Amino acid sequence: MEVGLATNLFKAAILFYLLGAAVALILINRHKLCNIISNAIYSVASALLIVSSIIKIISGSGQINISLFESPIPFITMNIRIDNLSAIFLLALSLLVLCVSLYSMGYISHYYGKRNVGIFNFLYSTFILSMIFVFTSANVVFFYIAWELMSMLSYFLVIFESEHEGNQRAGIIYIIMTYVGTAFLLIGFMLIYSYTNSFDIFGSSAAIPEFAKNIIFIMFLIGFATKAGAIPFHVWLPQAHPAAPSNVSALMSGIMIKTAIYGFVRFVLCYLGIQNTWWGVLILCIGIVSAVLGVAYALMEHNIKRLLAYSSVENIGIILIGLGVCFIAFAQENLLLGEMALVAALFHTFNHTLFKGGLFLGAGAIQYSTHTKDMEKLGGLIKTMPITALFILCFSLAVSAIVPFNGFVSEWLTYQSLFANIVSGQAGLNILSILAVAALGFAGAMAAACFVKLFGISFLGLPRSDHSLNAKEVPITMKIGMGMLATLCFAIGLFPLLILKLIDKVVFSLMGSSILEQLHGGCGIAYYSLNLSSGSISPAVMLIAIAGVILLALLGIRIIGGKYIERKYGTWDCGFEALNSRMQYTATGFSKPIKIVFKILFRPSRETVVTGDLAYHPESIEYITADESIIEKYIYNPVCERIKYFSRRMTFGVQTGSIHSYLTYIFVTVLLLMLYNMIA
Amino acid sequence: MSNFFDTLSVLILFSSFILMANKMTKSYIKTFRIQSMLLALAVGSMAIKSIIEEGRFDVLVVCLLIIILKVIYIPNLLNKAYAKAEYKVEKDFILNIPILVLVCCGLVVFCYFCLSTIDGINDGVINVQVVNSISVILIGLFFMISRKKAIGQIIGFLVIENGIFITAMFSTQGMPFIVDMGIFIDMLTAVMILGIMVFKINEEFDSIDIDKLNNLKG
Repeated sequence: MEVGLATNLFKAAILFYLLGAAVALILINRHKLCNIISNAIYSVASALLIVSSIIKIISGSGQINISLFESPIPFITMNIRIDNLSAIFLLALSLLVLCVSLYSMGYISHYYGKRNVGIFNFLYSTFILSMIFVFTSANVVFFYIAWELMSMLSYFLVIFESEHEGNQRAGIIYIIMTYVGTAFLLIGFMLIYSYTNSFDIFGSSAAIPEFAKNIIFIMFLIGFATKAGAIPFHVWLPQAHPAAPSNVSALMSGIMIKTAIYGFVRFVLCYLGIQNTWWGVLILCIGIVSAVLGVAYALMEHNIKRLLAYSSVENIGIILIGLGVCFIAFAQENLLLGEMALVAALFHTFNHTLFKGGLFLGAGAIQYSTHTKDMEKLGGLIKTMPITALFILCFSLAVSAIVPFNGFVSEWLTYQSLFANIVSGQAGLNILSILAVAALGFAGAMAAACFVKLFGISFLGLPRSDHSLNAKEVPITMKIGMGMLATLCFAIGLFPLLILKLIDKVVFSLMGSSILEQLHGGCGIAYYSLNLSSGSISPAVMLIAIAGVILLALLGIRIIGGKYIERKYGTWDCGFEALNSRMQYTATGFSKPIKIVFKILFRPSRETVVTGDLAYHPESIEYITADESIIEKYIYNPVCERIKYFSRRMTFGVQTGSIHSYLTYIFVTVLLLMLYNMIA
Repeated sequence: MSNFFDTLSVLILFSSFILMANKMTKSYIKTFRIQSMLLALAVGSMAIKSIIEEGRFDVLVVCLLIIILKVIYIPNLLNKAYAKAEYKVEKDFILNIPILVLVCCGLVVFCYFCLSTIDGINDGVINVQVVNSISVILIGLFFMISRKKAIGQIIGFLVIENGIFITAMFSTQGMPFIVDMGIFIDMLTAVMILGIMVFKINEEFDSIDIDKLNNLKG
């Protein structure tokens, strides 16, 4: 009965998305009407999907089977199968889509009359549909088609503002990288098919020999890591996410890169099964590198959306650390630890969807009212956009893993699983785990610095340009969209057991045992301890404690200091009366110390250009700083150069343009084939 | 009967050797016409055989089509194209004639050895007809490589087509009629397009030497 309800709701949601796409095309010329109606439809659809997936997870570990399209041609079938793993990703997707659609009602208004809003909404809804199908497809061919559609539609959305040359470049890098990744996935799928003669995702992989499994794992690793944007496959991510309109970047960063996490769990963990410890070790290493380098590069960015994109790389790194520990634990048949690490990874995936989606929406709100993404031109926005500022503060706290927001809980679980992975008798793995803990700590600290920079430079202080001086608060629908996400972040941070129970059911249906007994919860206010390690934590109690400490401190000051007179002055003006914006700390200045400490990573260069007759009496002074990415310099550029060189050689050597040489190629090929036929 | 077809296939092979040894563009067309006549003869005898044995008339139609198209129409068309593209230099092969002919001999031997291993077409002894006709295909391709002027490429293409046709005839004793028709229409279109191309190339480059087409490369 419950499953039937979930099935019907799911079908209704799909129909609503299709309806939304159709409406967007029908009302293509009436921008305002089109935008509001279609986004309302998407909101309804995603609300239906939220209910459907929650019912699905609560109802147990059965599967929903829907056959959309059957054909006599083999493999061309569209089978949908929703198990709990799909449902938890659907839940994250539809929560985000609900908020983003509400937000889009206001955000898209700056496109009215300038761009084709109908096409935009059509692409938006089909993009969401393709992601739904990625999460729910039951056979590999359908999965692959949905995956390709997702990449293609997101490419069109990335280049939606295509008149900027930077966006076209970003789009090209994105499409190249995504196709390289997909090619590796395709090799993996073909290998699977060649051994099992089946495209069923839920089938058995018993027929695949161990050697082939290793190769398939490597293929999946490259393919999915490219989509996830893990270092060193991340080059497209900081280019594509800033180029897209903000509501699309929220979807891309929030949920599209998580399809790769879904792929890792679905194909590697569930389908292939964990064979060797080195699989997990490899994923753990990629996670560590992504977490540390991602946040390090984020700190150097002054473009808000690029900063957020690099922060996504960092968070993918944290998720991969959790996943790596999970794989290691399953390879060593330490079921409890594996499940806990899987819960941590899935929980962080879920949380990252909420707060990173929110942050991109916030960046969109800033761009909406100031028309710039450059932090050096912002400042003082907290006075003109107080509500947006509050929401972005919430998201920043969540992404920096600070109590009582949701990011903290999942990072804490990741730490716990890393600590639990340190057991006696395996020196190498222990060193790796300790390193991972250190890397996670380092990444956490840097992330906090990074978001202090984002919030401090953009929202505090004085406006640095007319853009931010004349900023206005955004429309109400945008505030609702961000506010819902902020509330969710806070609520999950306070009562993490609500979501943890759902994720535990997912892990239970995948792995067959539950870790909920390890997580004791008491009547709403979460409190949990783990039998694995002695750590236990309760965010709600911590919040009360923090509030208590602050109150006590205030009280103490009042008691000790006695009565004092309050005087209000401009902060930091040191006796000068007129503070101006050029006296403030800049974004460049903020990240400078870190840039110097980690010189080896950033390779900074600086240049001071003084114009004028005398050095002591300059007309203008220009200060230019630049840093270069070591990965692009030492991996991508040499590879690109090689390919270019090789292609040029081929044009002159093989593809000469002479018909005779082409005919000779045909002739020689025919002779060689005949020879091969004779010998073989 | 079998001896008769063996002889014909050898004659067709021999005609392609003659083609390879030709020096003048005009004689390419003549040789092609002779080869097509031999082809028509072979198909005609097969047609009579199939009328007597099975009462099928379609092979006869194919034979007539060969006579109309390959013996009369296409050589005339080529002669016209050649007359329009006026150029005087006659020597247009890349190696000298004896070496080209020797390479052709090598190709026939190569074919013989390659085909000797294929089951199904040899019953006990090597099927000489198939060996000869496949050699014609290879020689046609090699002819295209060895000639510089565009007319040479067209003739080479037609010889390949002849070779494929005669291979099919010898190995199946008459294909379905629709397949034959398809082949003819394909070939006719190709030749017409090539004829126009030759004319255009001549107009553009004042020569039909295809080496000049290198300039078109981007």
